Amino acid sequence: MLTDTPLHELEMRVVYGNTLCALAAQHPNIYVLEADLSKASGTNPVFCCSYPDRFINVGVCEANMIGVAAGLAVEGKIPFCASFTPFATRRVYDQITISVAYAKANVKIVGTAPGITAGPNGGTHMCLQDLAIMRVMPHMVVLSPADAYELRACLHWMAEYEGPVYLQLLRGQLPPIFDPSYGFAPGRAQHLRSGGDVTLVSTGYMTSFARQAAEELAAEGIAVDLWHHPSIKPLDGESLAQSARRTGRVVTVENQSVLGGLGGAVCEFLAEQCPAYVSRLGVPDRFGEVATEEYLFNKHGFGVMHIKEACRTMMRRAQCRL
Amino acid sequence: MLAQSNGLTLDALRDKAKVIRRHVVEMITAAKSGHPGGSLSAADILTALYFGGVLRHDPANPLDPNRDRFILSKGHAVPVLYATLAEAGYIPVDQLTTLRQLGSTLQGHPSKADLPIMEASTGSLGQGLSVGVGMALAAKMDMADYRVYVMIGDGEAEEGQIWEAAMYAGAAKVDQLVAILDYNKCQLDGTIEEILNWEPVAEKWAAFGWHIIEINGHDMAEILRALEEARQITGKPVCIIAHTVKGEGVSFMACNNEWHGKAPTADECAKALAELA
Repeated sequence: MLTDTPLHELEMRVVYGNTLCALAAQHPNIYVLEADLSKASGTNPVFCCSYPDRFINVGVCEANMIGVAAGLAVEGKIPFCASFTPFATRRVYDQITISVAYAKANVKIVGTAPGITAGPNGGTHMCLQDLAIMRVMPHMVVLSPADAYELRACLHWMAEYEGPVYLQLLRGQLPPIFDPSYGFAPGRAQHLRSGGDVTLVSTGYMTSFARQAAEELAAEGIAVDLWHHPSIKPLDGESLAQSARRTGRVVTVENQSVLGGLGGAVCEFLAEQCPAYVSRLGVPDRFGEVATEEYLFNKHGFGVMHIKEACRTMMRRAQCRL
Repeated sequence: MLAQSNGLTLDALRDKAKVIRRHVVEMITAAKSGHPGGSLSAADILTALYFGGVLRHDPANPLDPNRDRFILSKGHAVPVLYATLAEAGYIPVDQLTTLRQLGSTLQGHPSKADLPIMEASTGSLGQGLSVGVGMALAAKMDMADYRVYVMIGDGEAEEGQIWEAAMYAGAAKVDQLVAILDYNKCQLDGTIEEILNWEPVAEKWAAFGWHIIEINGHDMAEILRALEEARQITGKPVCIIAHTVKGEGVSFMACNNEWHGKAPTADECAKALAELA
């Protein structure tokens, strides 16, 4: 089950399944709920074979999955429910709102293959709004880890935290950003690079691209202050304000619509607390389509070259310090 | 150890149901909004559950882990639940008229965060049965012997999630679970027959693997017999199809769907209370 392979050499879904197994060994109350996508989310075979009595596959019934999870949570269990991102969030939005969040039920919801990583499945499966819609739900914590170490740390924290949490789970293998000592805290951003010219804010899948952009910009003489926000809600406003006050220029990038997600959260915060110029990168107000990630990065302008260009454009603007 | 209490006599139960109906009428009148029809149709069943020796519960220890759970999935009928819980000693009777008032724990639909003795937050229809399935599964996992009762409305049974939950509970043989269908024949826009006729309903639940008991939901002896039979069933969930009358107990509300979601005036309230004296 658990191997000596470094975590970052494993697919994220494998890390998800393995970590839940490790947590289940410590927490007798951890349960896994699936709606016929357990192989995709990585709990099958590792979790369902290790803990068959704590693995509930409800079939293709996502609404029932969320309700059953709420009932289990009320009885002291810690259910982790997973499905593809659109079916884990927008399809069951009212069930999560009323049965889980309104009732303050301790349910963990995991959306797999977020944003453009759903590429070959096309527009039906390419959910670009889950960060936005989950963020506006009271009581809900919203997380988007960027690598395997952060994912593992988020899952450990979720098992201890009493309350509803939504987590975006990337499926494939990702380049490491952190190391095994990584410790997660909600509402705390990770400072990946210091610079005084422009603040670059990213989350989840886009953080490794943002890091590459920041490194390449350094060679051009643009000093990027790079912050990764694993926690979209609560948002680390303090570090955001500190950086924005210094640079006066902020670029956000996310594997989501530019409306309402990380970019939206950053704009809301800065507009009220620390006004600065902001440029939001991501998918504009559009549906997805069958395409490669490279095609979509280019079409919508949020790949490495676009992040760099956005930072350069920002540099041509005067600093906004109010 | 929490034990089943002895129930009241049939006559005392009928009297108790009358008192509960009086509370319902008074609460909704005071609130100037609410749902009398579906509250009154469920009054006899709730009376039987809480006062007929059916539910294992203790008002002195409302969250006792061994208590039987009752979820009102048709959350708009919550006045009848608050009234029943007040009569049972969970809520001060004089708080009942704070229904739907600013700051009251007696929200317009059950809210667990505001009132923890609500087993689930309901009112967005179709969700309570799934929550009940989760609770019944937890009982099995913990080898606990409490039972979970979920009352669903007939209009509510048009929600797809009800059938997702029914399919799962039947397939997974979730016993310790009893669904009670308050079949009062009307939904907001008209009769079930007019809007979405889902008959034959007993056959549907049976086909999903449930044990079916069909009763007159206003006949106290029949209700108690059905709930006793439900307790004996193992290996499958139980669905009690309770034929009821919307607005039962108040002549001008009975079978009159205008009273689905309308508050009585002071005069109408007085008239209703006189009938329920």
